[in-house]
Order: sequence, then structure tokens, then C-alpha cells
Amino acid sequence: MKTKAAILWERNTPWSVEEIELDPPKAGEVLVKLSASGMCHSDEHLVTGDLAGATPEPPLIGGHEGAGVVLEVGDGVFSVQPGDHVVFGFVPACGRCPSCAEGHSNLCDMGSLTATGLQITDGTSRHHARGQDILLGIGNLGTFAHHTVVHEASCIKIDPDLPLDRACLLGCGVVTGWGSAVYAADVQPGDTVAVVGIGGIGSNAVQGAKLAGARVVAAIDPVEFKREKAMEFGATHTHSSVEEALGALGETTWDRGFDKVIMTIGVGNGDVLGQAFHLGGKRSKIVVTNIHPAAEQSIAVPAVFLTVFEKQLIGSLFGSANPRKDIPRLLELYTQGQLDLDGLVTRTYPLEDINQGYADMNDGKNIRGVLVYD
Amino acid sequence: MKSRAAVLRGVGQDWQIEEIEVDPPKTGEVIVEWKVAGLCHSDEHLVTGDMVPPEETWEMMGIEDMWPAIGGHEGAGVVAEVGPGVSSVAVGDHVSASFVPSCGKCRYCSTGRQNLCDAGAGAFLKGMITDGTSRHHMADGNGDPMLFAKLGTFANHSCVSEDQVIKVDTDLPLESVALVSCGVATGWGSATNRAAVSAGDVVVVVGIGGIGINAVQGAAMAGARKVIAVDPIEFKREKAMEFGATETFTSMEEALPSVMEMTQGMMADKVIMTPGVLYGDLMALGTQLAGKGGTIVVTGVAPMTQTESSVNLFELAMWNKEIKGTIFGSLNPRADIPRLLNLYRDGQLKLDELITNRYTLDQINDGYQAMRDGTNIRGVVVHG
Repeated sequence: MKTKAAILWERNTPWSVEEIELDPPKAGEVLVKLSASGMCHSDEHLVTGDLAGATPEPPLIGGHEGAGVVLEVGDGVFSVQPGDHVVFGFVPACGRCPSCAEGHSNLCDMGSLTATGLQITDGTSRHHARGQDILLGIGNLGTFAHHTVVHEASCIKIDPDLPLDRACLLGCGVVTGWGSAVYAADVQPGDTVAVVGIGGIGSNAVQGAKLAGARVVAAIDPVEFKREKAMEFGATHTHSSVEEALGALGETTWDRGFDKVIMTIGVGNGDVLGQAFHLGGKRSKIVVTNIHPAAEQSIAVPAVFLTVFEKQLIGSLFGSANPRKDIPRLLELYTQGQLDLDGLVTRTYPLEDINQGYADMNDGKNIRGVLVYD
Repeated sequence: MKSRAAVLRGVGQDWQIEEIEVDPPKTGEVIVEWKVAGLCHSDEHLVTGDMVPPEETWEMMGIEDMWPAIGGHEGAGVVAEVGPGVSSVAVGDHVSASFVPSCGKCRYCSTGRQNLCDAGAGAFLKGMITDGTSRHHMADGNGDPMLFAKLGTFANHSCVSEDQVIKVDTDLPLESVALVSCGVATGWGSATNRAAVSAGDVVVVVGIGGIGINAVQGAAMAGARKVIAVDPIEFKREKAMEFGATETFTSMEEALPSVMEMTQGMMADKVIMTPGVLYGDLMALGTQLAGKGGTIVVTGVAPMTQTESSVNLFELAMWNKEIKGTIFGSLNPRADIPRLLNLYRDGQLKLDELITNRYTLDQINDGYQAMRDGTNIRGVVVHG
């Protein structure tokens, strides 16, 4: 079939919205008509090449936060059927590998194929344009398109009464931020929590920390609009920089340092991490959720405090959450008014305006921008 | 010094206000002038006998006589006098009582489980933790009283071990401190700590008294998606909604089908049992309310001699459920009493709203009658 998609033909060029040829789903695959896609910072990493080596090279179709309706399923697909509403988990969850079996499906072994940009099933392409195969970006999904074909392991069925232009955010950013606080940092009632960087991830780390009962949630971001949004999501304090937050430790933590520090800046940076490391107190957990450049080889962390204060440096992918449990769980919280998704979406765009959406993100105008196709 | 106290002289009797003589503190002891005492259900368990060891076991437990007993194990007051070697508090300090001592040195204290401090061992014995002798004497010369939990906050003054007082900031209302010292911490910790409620969980709290209401509050603060409060009394169900419950039911039977529906058959993640008296047959429905891998926390006090409870062990095994007991909400008094008071100061923990009625020491029996009638969430004695 023919459909439309945003293709990155070369690094550091705009997304090109054009017609593509999409093959039918093969065994284990699902054809989905997408309704909406989040514009996550990680796709911008594909443009800049920050993740070179860990992601496919252009030409590729971007997008990994998608929600839509199943149109057709290949042989052997049992967990979804045509008409089902689905959110894509940006990490697949096969349910069978050791990571899935131990309750860590965010680390599903199928995720190792994400750098290939090809179908997880057989390593070939279903997407073609200008007479050549087009790869898929993060998660082998390609949600910057009106239709796509993905692996069954990426499809999480959701209730059909949920709005897909909100549900798409559960595919990555919301769960990643919320889970960074609730699961990776294990925020407890009465904790003090610092969130460094208030974008699409950090604002949800603020929400997660708040819901988990944190006494203090300090949101750190240089952009005033984002600090204001953080207060709406439950922050109790805001600071414009890590330095400023360090100077206010007396007020926020009575100089004991934060119980939990969550790193959610646009692009991870070893120097910023080293500085933020000082925000943590004894036995604090410092969670690294933001993505550091793949080429960065060292971080400026004073390791002595790992020992003498038992600080813990913890990496987290997808908020250490499980797509099949947590995407429905967070949607229930949304339905019940305990998770704000509507307030996250600053602007929506048609697929054709994707470059404007990313320009707005880079200008710090959006908490989240969403592409809406219907 | 002379003081006054509410004294119980046997099971089934009323509290009587009597004069007592309090000796000066010895090494490691302090005299506290109690300003506020909470009317906790556990003192009532002395009256009903639920928490009185049967007399045939006294010799084995080293108990000569339980009576007369000075009640009260929730309290806040001001340090009036300190004995030699006391370093953590000074005269004039405001303190919270802690019905579980925390010596800070035993195996349990040193592994972060102060609620199980070994110094709590002689709770039903007369005499001080420090040296086993009595500092309190009935003014009529008729023997020495047992102080409940070795605190006796139903006295204007009592002599207690330094291990059982925790210094608190002087800006905090002593009524709030008194409530946190047992009931609030026990209920809140049952949810946040022992049940380990996680954001998004479905939680059922069975019995909404002074403990259950704080389990509701703790579960809501920990981010539970549903906090389902079960109590036969309408006033308590209404209070539960004010403290963060999302649904209420009059009984576990009534709750069961609704919990099934709202969880799509998965049932609750956590069930917290906080009825006034935890009779064993309540556990049948309590365990049924929990789903696969669910946790049932037993907080409420059961009759001491009850040895049976109705638990379907087949389901417990096949559905990997767990039943966990807790004392003091499995919290650490020295860390968590100040922590909860900080949350109160920040407006994140409701304490003032817990108090339904205040009584003078002389009105204490009225206060307990109100508890039996179900008209109080919490009653407190404000010492004159």
C-alpha cells in the first residue's frame, strides 16, 4: 500500500514528508494505521548523530512514540487483531527472553535489533521510497508515518475509549520519566527529589515523584516556561541551574542532600552529571535517564562519594518499567485524574509540519509536541 | 513528687484517677510532664483483656502482677528532670513518647528495625527498663503500678527510660506529636512501609479507626490508584474519603465484588487489616481481597490467646500471597516520628483533622465510651 512518512535522508537535514510504499505484514508482524506520534528528543539524536553506532544510519523513518488502530496482522499474531487500539512500546517485549522472564522487559533481548532499523522478524524492510529500502529509527517502529508495520512484541493493546493522541506519549516519554522516579529512583513517601532537566521526560519524573509521595520535588531547568510547567506537575521548588540548586540545599533538604536525583536533560553530559552528583545525600540514588552521546567515554563523578556516602549511580531505560504492565497502568492513572497527559501537550502538528515541531522543541517552547494524523 | 494518673485495677473495670508518687530519675531516665495523651485502642485492649496475658502464663513471663496499671502509651510532653548520663534530651525539651523503645545498640536497632528493639521485651513487667525497679508508687501505699508500655502517659508525670523519648521541635503542637507517637505512625507505616504501597497500586484498608485512617492517608500519599476503605460506621467512611480514600464499603463482603470489578478481576495489590480487634475469622475475606502476589498486612491487635485464623493456605501458596505482621508500621521511631512531623508541617499529612474530641484526664472514661460507640476517629486527653 501507499502511505505518507517523514524520512531523514541524511544527518543534519530536515525531515522530508513524502509518499512511501509499505508491504503487508509478514508472520509475527502487524500493520497499524497510526493516529498520533510523539516528537521525542531521541529522534532528534538521529538527526544530529549523537547516537551513532547505536541507531541506524539514514535514510530512515523516525518516530518511536506511536498509537493507532490495527488494520491487519500477519500469521501467528495472537495478542492483537484488526480493530484493536495499540500503543507501541519503544522497546519490544517478547515475553520469553531472560530479561522479560525476570520482570525487566524494558531490557528485552529483541531490543538489541533496534540499531538495525529492519524488521525484527526476518531482518528485511517493509518500507520503501524512491526505489530503495528505508530503515526504521529507534525501536524499529517508524511512527512519523500514517501507517507502519511493526513486530507484535511492540504492540500493547489498550482500551478503545482512550484518546490515541495522548496514549501515544506512553510509548516512551511519560513512562520513562514517571518510571525513573517511581521504579528506578524508588521514590518513597517523604523523600526529597531533584529532577534535572524539565522536558518531556523530566516533567513526568516530577509527576511520578509527586504521586509517590515525595515531600520535596525540586525541578531544575534554565527555561522559565519549563519551571512554571514543573510547578503545575507537582514540583515544590524550582531552580534555574544545578549551581543554584546546590546553593539552596539548606532550604530544600536541610543540607542533608536529596534522597533521589534524576537526570533528564536534553543530551546527557558528563560534567553536568558530575555537578549534579553533589545534589545527592548519603545513600542517595542518582538516576541517569537522559542519553549521553555514544562517543562520551568519561564522566566527572567524584567516585569517592560512591564509597564514603554510599551514593548509588543508576542507569534507567524506559523508566525501568514493563511496557505490558505499565502502559495500561499509567493510562488507568490518566483516566482517574492521577496523571496529567493533557497538560504535557503544548502543541500538535500535522505530519507535514514536523520540522516546525522540532524547531519549537529546540527553542524550548514545547514540553511535548505531538503529531496528529486524523 | 506527687502526680495524678488514670489507673486500671483489673479487666472490665473503669479507669480511676488516683494519686501516685514518682521518684526522681536514676541513670538513663527522665521525668516527663505529659501534656497530651492519645486514647489508643491498645489501652482499651487492657480493659477488655485482649492484651492481658492469661494469669496462668504470668509466672513463665516473669509477671508478678499486672495491676494496678497506669494506661497511656501515646503522648507528648516536656522534660521536667533528667537523671545522670542522659544526653539526648534536656530539661525543657519537647518530646514524643515512643511505645517501642529504641536503644540504638541491639541487633534490631542496628539493622534499621528499631520497632523491634530488644529493650521492648519486658513490656508487661513492672519496673523500669533501666534496672527493673519501680519509680512509681500508689500514693495510698498499696503497691507499685505497671506502666503500660513503660510510659503511662495517662499520668501527669511519669519517669521513663531515655530510650522511649524522642526530642521534637518546639513549634509543633503537642497534640500532633502525641498522635504521631503511635497511631499515625502505625497506620501510615503499615501502608507505606510494611505493605510498601507503590504508585498505581490498588489498596484496601479494613477498619477505619485511629490506625486505619492513617493507613488510608499513607496509601494515598504513596500514590495508590484506588484506596478502598471498609468500615461499618458511616461517619468513619466519610472521614476516610477526607483522608484520601477513593471508595468505601460497609463490609468486606460488600467490597469483594466491587474490587473484583474495578481491578478487572486482578483484586487488590495490598490489603491492610486494621479493625478494632482482629478476630481470626476476618482473615478469610481479608486474604480473598488480595490478588495474585498480593500482600496482606496484619496491623490490628488480635486477642492475645487467639491461635487460629481462617486463611485458605491453598490459595496463599498457589497465588503467591504473603501475610505480614507489623508493629509500629515497621517504622523507626527516631527517624520516622520527626519525618512524619515534617510532613505535617509541610501540610502533607493531616493530623489536626484526626481529633474528634478532647477530654480532661478526669473525663477519660467518657473518651473510651465514645471510642466503643464509634463516634471518635481519635480522642485525646489534654492534661490540665
